[in-house]
Amino acid sequence: MDDDMIFDPSLKKKKKKKTGFDLEAALAGEQGESTSMETPADTGDVDAPEDDNLDLDNFGKKKKKKKKTFFNLGELENALPETPPTEEPEAQEDEVMDDLDLDIDFTKTKKKKRKKDKNVDELVTEEDVRGEDQENVEDEHGEWVGSDHDYSYDELLERVFDIMREKNPSMVSGKKQKFIMRPPQVVRIGTKKTSFANFTEICKTLHRQAKHLLDFLLAELGTSGSVDGNSQLIIKGRFQQKQIENVLRRYIKEYVTCHTCRSPDTILQKDTRLFFLQCETCGSRCSVASIKSGFQAVTGKRAAIRAKTA
Amino acid sequence: MSIQNLNTFDPFADAIKSSEDDVQDGLVHVRIQQRNGRKTLTTVQGLSSEYDLKKIVRACKKEFACNGTVVEHPEYGEVLQLQGDQRENICQWLTKSGLVKPEQLKVHGF
Repeated sequence: MDDDMIFDPSLKKKKKKKTGFDLEAALAGEQGESTSMETPADTGDVDAPEDDNLDLDNFGKKKKKKKKTFFNLGELENALPETPPTEEPEAQEDEVMDDLDLDIDFTKTKKKKRKKDKNVDELVTEEDVRGEDQENVEDEHGEWVGSDHDYSYDELLERVFDIMREKNPSMVSGKKQKFIMRPPQVVRIGTKKTSFANFTEICKTLHRQAKHLLDFLLAELGTSGSVDGNSQLIIKGRFQQKQIENVLRRYIKEYVTCHTCRSPDTILQKDTRLFFLQCETCGSRCSVASIKSGFQAVTGKRAAIRAKTA
Repeated sequence: MSIQNLNTFDPFADAIKSSEDDVQDGLVHVRIQQRNGRKTLTTVQGLSSEYDLKKIVRACKKEFACNGTVVEHPEYGEVLQLQGDQRENICQWLTKSGLVKPEQLKVHGF
């Protein structure tokens, strides 16, 4: 059954967590009776390393505190006769501290410590403790940022976007640069032909070979045509500017703009009979459909075709 | 207990489903060709050979009030031809009748 579960990622995760928890529990068990009072406080779900970190910190802090108390005690020794009994709990605390080094929960110990403080010597003023605690909290915050504390997804997302905005503001602020193109000039020649006057100009603005665009236009429109001497395209059939615009729009969507980031800054390459669209902005590379005119029905005079083939 | 992995999302589900449930596979190209004057011709290429194209064309002729025929092509198979600009009509009809999914339709022309 375990083997089955290993394949599932989510389950595995859960399992991992669980095992971690178990380990902790086991550790706690190993530590013996002295830690038994901490185990109930161990809610388990929180990350172990983070807690460890905190504990270590606290440990240091506490040590300092302890030193201070010692100092106080030293002072007090002169003043009060109660000192010997206070020494004993102190030693006990030491033991507890050592346990804490390995321990998981923090809040409980802190509480306990405070309690102990009060127990140990009420002569240490409340204010002193509080001030120290506040210090503790502040330090925690600093450590919290530095440590591998489990950030939520939203927090991290916000952070990464903040960094992005900071590092390159041009990327986020109004990158929607419109792709401006001059409209195609379409003029009717006679009754049966249409001229696309600025065809080569549009090819240049799109950075595409005239032949490629020509192939596409003729295949889409299902006609024939050619570029004449004045670098204008003559298409057989009647077409309006709007219709040509539509076809051009489709061409740009398929063969000019990057399919990933929609940037028009792309290069069309031919690799082993396939066309690839390489984006200069995002670096993506994807294949694009080859131009096929597909089935063409017979529209002219059949007699003429027969005469041609025969 | 079955293997968990198989209960999750299957990346090939689409491919399996489309090949099993649907007869139609691949794109259906709907094109327009200009004839003399303002006359046009609509061609529908790529319909599955499992369909009876003759029946389809008969229904279409009646529906769109136009003439039409089925042409055999060595490369593209059977191609449907309809008189006039029937691109809109044929697309709607094909999707409504459930023969072709909207994403399988590709309309060419202006």
